[in-house]
Amino acid sequence: MLKLFCLPAFLLVLPFTLNAQQTASVNGYITDSTSGETLLLANIALLEINRGVSSNTSGYYSLTNIPAGTYTIIASYIGFRRFERSITLEPGQTLRLNIELIPESTQLEDLVVESERDKEEQRNIGTSQITTALIKQLPSVLEPDVFRYVQLLPGVKAASDFSSGLYIRGGSPDQTLILLDQTTVYNPTHFFGFFSTFNPDAVKDVRLYKGGYPAKYGGRIGSVLDVYNKDGNRNTYQGTVSLGMLASRAAVEGPYKYGSFMLAVRRSTLEPVLAALRSSTDSVPDLFYFFDINGKINLDAGSNDRLSLAFYSGQDRVIFPFGDDAEIGLTYGNQTVSSSWRHIFSDKLFGTATGTYSRYFNRPEFEFGGTPFERENDIYDFSLKGDLEYLVNENHTLSAGIWAGILTLRINDRFDNADTFNSRIQSTYASAYLQDQWRADNNQWIATGGVRVSAFSSGDYVRLEPRMSLEYRIRPEIRLQAAYGRYYQYLTLISNEAFAGFDIWLTTDDGVPPAYGDQFVLGAKTQPFSGYGFDAEVYFRTMRDLFELDPFVADPAGLEYNELFRFGEGYAYGVELFFEKQTGRLNGFIGYTFGITERKFPGFNADVLDDPSNARFYPPKYDRKHDMNIVLNYRMSTRWSVTSVFSYATGQAYTEPLGRTAFSNVPWGNNSRDTFVIGRVNASRLPAYHRLDFGFARTGTFFGMGSSEWQFQIINAYSRRNVWFYNYDFDSNPLERSDVTLLPILPAISYTVSF
Amino acid sequence: MLKKITLITLLVMISSCDLMKQDEYREFVVVEAYLVSDRQLPPVFISRTVPATAEYRFEDAALNNADVQIHLLSLNGDVKEQTFDFAAGTPGVYTTVENHLVLPGRTYELDISFPDRAEILNARTRIPESFKVDELSADSIVYQSPDQLEITLSNSNTTSQQSVFVFNTLAQDVRYENLTPFYKNFVDNDNITLEQAANSPSGLLNEANFEKNSDGSITIRYPWIGVAFFGPNLLVANSLDKNLFDLIRSQEVQLGGSTLSPGEIPNAIYNIEGGIGVFGSISSDTVSVFIERP
Repeated sequence: MLKLFCLPAFLLVLPFTLNAQQTASVNGYITDSTSGETLLLANIALLEINRGVSSNTSGYYSLTNIPAGTYTIIASYIGFRRFERSITLEPGQTLRLNIELIPESTQLEDLVVESERDKEEQRNIGTSQITTALIKQLPSVLEPDVFRYVQLLPGVKAASDFSSGLYIRGGSPDQTLILLDQTTVYNPTHFFGFFSTFNPDAVKDVRLYKGGYPAKYGGRIGSVLDVYNKDGNRNTYQGTVSLGMLASRAAVEGPYKYGSFMLAVRRSTLEPVLAALRSSTDSVPDLFYFFDINGKINLDAGSNDRLSLAFYSGQDRVIFPFGDDAEIGLTYGNQTVSSSWRHIFSDKLFGTATGTYSRYFNRPEFEFGGTPFERENDIYDFSLKGDLEYLVNENHTLSAGIWAGILTLRINDRFDNADTFNSRIQSTYASAYLQDQWRADNNQWIATGGVRVSAFSSGDYVRLEPRMSLEYRIRPEIRLQAAYGRYYQYLTLISNEAFAGFDIWLTTDDGVPPAYGDQFVLGAKTQPFSGYGFDAEVYFRTMRDLFELDPFVADPAGLEYNELFRFGEGYAYGVELFFEKQTGRLNGFIGYTFGITERKFPGFNADVLDDPSNARFYPPKYDRKHDMNIVLNYRMSTRWSVTSVFSYATGQAYTEPLGRTAFSNVPWGNNSRDTFVIGRVNASRLPAYHRLDFGFARTGTFFGMGSSEWQFQIINAYSRRNVWFYNYDFDSNPLERSDVTLLPILPAISYTVSF
Repeated sequence: MLKKITLITLLVMISSCDLMKQDEYREFVVVEAYLVSDRQLPPVFISRTVPATAEYRFEDAALNNADVQIHLLSLNGDVKEQTFDFAAGTPGVYTTVENHLVLPGRTYELDISFPDRAEILNARTRIPESFKVDELSADSIVYQSPDQLEITLSNSNTTSQQSVFVFNTLAQDVRYENLTPFYKNFVDNDNITLEQAANSPSGLLNEANFEKNSDGSITIRYPWIGVAFFGPNLLVANSLDKNLFDLIRSQEVQLGGSTLSPGEIPNAIYNIEGGIGVFGSISSDTVSVFIERP
């Protein structure tokens, strides 16, 4: 264990002990020429010797062990013109070449979006890159949202129109690690789960690792969503102001003497609407608002050092009157701070060190008939990370890193002004990884092997997690990929699909072992025609030792910690197809997923007369066998564009009551306790879900001071009344079933000014 | 290669259709009986389930020709010390004429069989130890006054497991004008009836919620939410056995509000062999208090 943690230090020394050879190297950052933003996972290659690499998550690249000579260096990135330049390298020379890529949009002289770029984006198995510009173009309910875009990708399912939760490859939302500038975010939602906290004005890059993800990441058995905020424009001052129906946003960024900065704020603007509704309608909140602030400041301390400090703060608050003498209140939010130091040690060694702080809190307050209930729930997570990338030679890239921190979870429940549940769990956690990526000389084979060791103090668990992937390039336009990984998770989320404001995280402990799972992925990435991409992936994953709050726990007071949970297992498998048209006036994608996921918990879904400790597998509600999304973006003229999204999915699982009875003589109360008799849990299906959204955008100028954009959007254009769930009314005899439906047709309008 | 991938994909999709089919409706025998410590043996209600979409009335679902017996078991639970025969009176309601006060801390067994049905039902309940309300902080108290009503219950728990309580308030002067504001709102909105408000219970509460005194007794601050009517009220403390606890906690999950997704409904927990229902028991004690208007 100790050896693994010492590895990064060893790697620091390594380059100085190796014999220098009379070869040359070239390295630097790849940035957007207009903003100076670093570009992550861009492609860089030397044409003559067919050597290539990708920039890392800091936008840094390095090509080493290059024989002296003259070469053509090229760099490409989706949405940017291909960079090409001739360079001459002397023996022993290390050339620092920072590359600025020019966005395609600034090159257009007519309406036809033709690209000269090489479309061979770095797409590793199980990975999706989110085009941040498209997030704002997509029709969206109330606010443009990163998560809503991610939900359109194959393998990702949405629980409902009301939930931005990410259900990826059969996993529940807590199985996805969500990072903002390398900091874990524990409840990334606003509006009680309706949309995510990530402000599209602030986001630079979003990477989704759906499965089979590399050793660099850990802590969740499903997937990783890695979000990076903008560094800020290094060349010029820039700003946007956007007015929307629910919220308004403002952002400013620009250079300063030593680097750049970015500040983006967003706040709900619903108060006038609520005030108008309050005079005529009951059940309108007395108070509702949310806000978030994202900021980042960068310091270019020298050619080899870059420092950054990023923060996020967001909060939702609602007070809801509930009849006479009753009130419900809720405040919840997140705060994150991360500070990074990126250092180029040599042409072969690049490192980052990051300190992170994340806080999540919620404060539900109820008062019914003079009896208050209050909860204070806090998570504090302090961590330090270090990552190193060492280019051993032209074939091998070693990566290593550590991540250690202190996680504190605190819950204090008070009922009627007396403590009823008090828990404070403080855990230290640590993990280290080592990974080697080997590329064949001709780049036809790429093999990545790694191992991650994770340790968690609550329960004293240490686990080993092997990871590996293999890529074989049959032809330049066809790549076959495979990946395997084992993953451990020490946290579980107590949440509800309908409402994310009360989320609570709990950890492993004695008698509560970590959940774990294996993932197997096979994939093919192809470019059947120029400007088109077609990907297919098949996955299978297991979920073992799943631990989640036992739904039958009526009162946690006095229970042993492990008595709060139920322990189960699950599996998921599926096929994902992704067809993309990347260029032209008409572009977009079609994503299709065939997926199955099931779970089993003792004492749940047993036959009525069977031993209650038995169980049968059942699909969770969010399981959808078929799921398809079509996203099209059409540029009608220099001013007008239209975007549409069509979604179709098989109906979600639900439990159909088969029989009924009633218990009318319970020794207290005057209510008859009507009771369902159930067959199999979630063995029935709601009607299929489908929805069509449109968005029109018109760009213009704002009194000569900047550009402007009107967005007109129609959500659920044909007002399909998709069913969320069925409600059963026992007051009616016979029982009456009613549909609880999702969103009807909704128009939206927003206006954005950029200067 | 693409053809192969497509073919494999189609095969997987076809082979995976209809992985799980819903069960057909089955009829079950339903039993309902609650033994109360230090009281006479209660009636046993026996009925059958009906399809979910059918109209439900106990009288129509009642089963009238069951053979019903309750046995008092020996302390170690393996010998039937006494047997009590039950007979049907009103449809589906079985009573015994034998004089027997339910013994706290003892285990009772229920046997049900039918001459014309195959089901044989069996269940056991262990009666919670009896307890008393040792002390009530006031006989009369002003509604929502800062000094809350406090009830001290005697030490009764002789097992390692904590007791589970339900408290209910029985209003003695049930008139609309006596409703407290919180409940008045519910009655006004037709959420509950006046009759339902007159017997307002708490949820399931673990013993660990309450302050334990040095003599083993526990003191409970009675929450104002439990008071629906001004005027005279009876406060009842009930200690539940496992069977009743399991039924209530699982039946409430069926109605939502847990961490389960909406529409995900589990069966209730019954602890009955051969059928469904509850053969439960409680110990209880009652005190009276007058709630004054503020």
